[in-house]
Amino acid sequence: MAASGQSTDPNTNIPDYEYIDVNTKPFHIASFRNEWLSRLKPSDISYQQEDEDAFDANFAKEMGLGPEIMSQLKSVCSVDSLRCHPEDQQPDPEVVPPNSTLKTLVERKKRQDYKASLKITKNRHDLYADELERLTVGRKPSAVADMIPEGEIILTINVYYPATYEKFCYVRPHMTLLMTGSHTLAELRDGICCVSDLQVCGEFSNTPDIAPDFISKDHYKSSFFFFEGVFYNDMRFPECRDISITTVEWAKSRNFPPYSQAKMEETRFTDLKVKVGFPYLYCHQGDCEHLVIITDVRLVHKNDCMDKNLYPLLTHKHRIVTQKCAVCHLFIGRWFTTNDQFAPSDPCLFCDKCFRMLHYDAAGNKLGDFLAYPYVDRGAFN
Amino acid sequence: MDLNRKLVKSDCEELLSRFQKTDSVRFEIFSNTWREMKFSHIFYGTKKREKRVFSRLVLDTASSFFLPPYSFQIRVGGLYLLYSLYQCQTTSPPEQIRLALKDWEDVKKFEKDALNAQHHDIVYILHRLLFLRAFHFTAMPTLLVFQKKRKVERSVQREAFIERTSRPQELINTEMLEELSNIHELYEKLKTSVCSTTNSSVNLSRKDLIPQLCSTVMNFYKLQQKDGSDDGEEDSGEGTSSQQDCSKRAERLAFIKSKAYGEAPEACKSRRHRQVEVDLTSNEAGPSNMSGSTRISKPSLKARTNENVHISGDMWKEASTTTMINCLTTLDSAPEKQKNLKRFKWR
Ligand SMILES: [Zn+2]
Ligand SMILES: [Zn+2]
Repeated sequence: MAASGQSTDPNTNIPDYEYIDVNTKPFHIASFRNEWLSRLKPSDISYQQEDEDAFDANFAKEMGLGPEIMSQLKSVCSVDSLRCHPEDQQPDPEVVPPNSTLKTLVERKKRQDYKASLKITKNRHDLYADELERLTVGRKPSAVADMIPEGEIILTINVYYPATYEKFCYVRPHMTLLMTGSHTLAELRDGICCVSDLQVCGEFSNTPDIAPDFISKDHYKSSFFFFEGVFYNDMRFPECRDISITTVEWAKSRNFPPYSQAKMEETRFTDLKVKVGFPYLYCHQGDCEHLVIITDVRLVHKNDCMDKNLYPLLTHKHRIVTQKCAVCHLFIGRWFTTNDQFAPSDPCLFCDKCFRMLHYDAAGNKLGDFLAYPYVDRGAFN
Repeated sequence: MDLNRKLVKSDCEELLSRFQKTDSVRFEIFSNTWREMKFSHIFYGTKKREKRVFSRLVLDTASSFFLPPYSFQIRVGGLYLLYSLYQCQTTSPPEQIRLALKDWEDVKKFEKDALNAQHHDIVYILHRLLFLRAFHFTAMPTLLVFQKKRKVERSVQREAFIERTSRPQELINTEMLEELSNIHELYEKLKTSVCSTTNSSVNLSRKDLIPQLCSTVMNFYKLQQKDGSDDGEEDSGEGTSSQQDCSKRAERLAFIKSKAYGEAPEACKSRRHRQVEVDLTSNEAGPSNMSGSTRISKPSLKARTNENVHISGDMWKEASTTTMINCLTTLDSAPEKQKNLKRFKWR
């Protein structure tokens, strides 16, 4: 039996580690899906739940068990057999049971007592996280055509904020999106919200009212993803440019392994050959670079959100501490000024109201000398 | 978070270790242990979002016990643990158990072993989990975020839970020794027919090869037993293991069996024992009950030798690369290497 020799020709469509617990070797998503589907019975992945009695009857038949043995088996394996308290004395599941021997519970009790001593109430972010979760679980579409078919692939994708963020090493702030295998990379791109897409460029101290009309996304539409040696460019709009070409040609001229290009809007996730857990790249606005990690690939489950149109589905978003106005310390900054005689610092951040009150008269005339730039806070999406 | 993971793992190990001491694979015994430890309570005291995060953590931790390199009994415990945790979790809808594609073969093999041994409760629980759609069919066992560990901290496996090496015993069994001695005999005969005079220069083979091989494997087995004598585990005992060990093993298996939901006629009981025995010993070593059938389906080595040996010397050489003799000569290095690979893969 030692010579079964299965290890000599590993199936490359069966994902395995490249580095243990870190990332996998590359595999083709559609082939991976087919490997699973070829092994499973349709009922294993069906959204439809069969009848309990039918299941038991079927099992008894398959195993050749008489009704008596079957009912005995059923009762032995029932959920009731796991109940750790009398039926009429259901303890409060919100409370850590006292005197438990489980180490997990001893620690949990300790931690809860400590937290209680601090008297911290739930903050806005925690509430928001609960909200996000409630929205995503088990949603069904109104139209049958929008239903995700059984056996579809679901990918979990983390998109990280640019690494310039000072605390990146510890918390690695990111957003998590779910996609299906038949979605395109362009659809992922549209689901990524980054402040640099909203950044308004230019100095507007003389005309503060027209500033918000200039939004970067409208001006610089080009962007690309980079997976396994391929640049996937967004070429949906006539003003899009292949911004990867510089890199491709630079690599070519230096005898690097060749990179190739493809169109984001024509590439479905099932077409990709990628490593799970490996950092790839999303680049937009010319130089705003985000790491992208596909953290999970799996078959769709009946509890997943089944409305195609709700993908990319946001399941996590890092809460960023917002920069507040230097005057009122209350509202999120919308403007920053330089060379500003009214400002306590240079540069200085103001909310819209304080900015206008301080820098313009009632008729809207500019007072004094300063330069003003619209500012979009990183946490503006919170 | 890391501390939490450690504590959960340690609680699971405590449960499984108590289960291991019962020498049973019955769910009834497992649920007893579960209630005794009030294991359902592990979910209590988590709030809102914490609930889901904790369910994820505890299911991921328990999953590893359901897979090799753990012994059959521990894997049964791992399956029961997953089922119980899945049913008792307090988050709704429940978190799923993650099952990676590469581990599917192991699960199917496990199911086959349980089926062959007529462990109906094991099969029932597994089928029930599938019926409940308790699984996520995934690429990998956990979500991967390119988290490189600063400290290399290999999560340690409980030595007592792991199936002991049994390749030598499996390879050097009676059947194989018989064939080997046949070949040996054949070879000696051929040799004497070629060289009329007994010339010491053609005395290249060892006269006592078979008894030596046998006693070496016996020694290895005894040493192994002595090594792990404190935990009282005797899972490797196939093939040439001594009579006494075999019977002791059979006794224990019979004890386990006696509590099984077996409806099969008494007549084939011993046969089934053999089956269980094979299953138990070969969990780590790869395809289990395949071994018996493939060995039988191949033409016997003797037949193949008879066919090849008188045709030409080259043919003999060619044939020998696929024979067990070849396996024997590489026994020292090859299986060891493979074992290391496996360890590596499984943390
Ligand atoms: Zn960006
Ligand atoms: Zn203000």
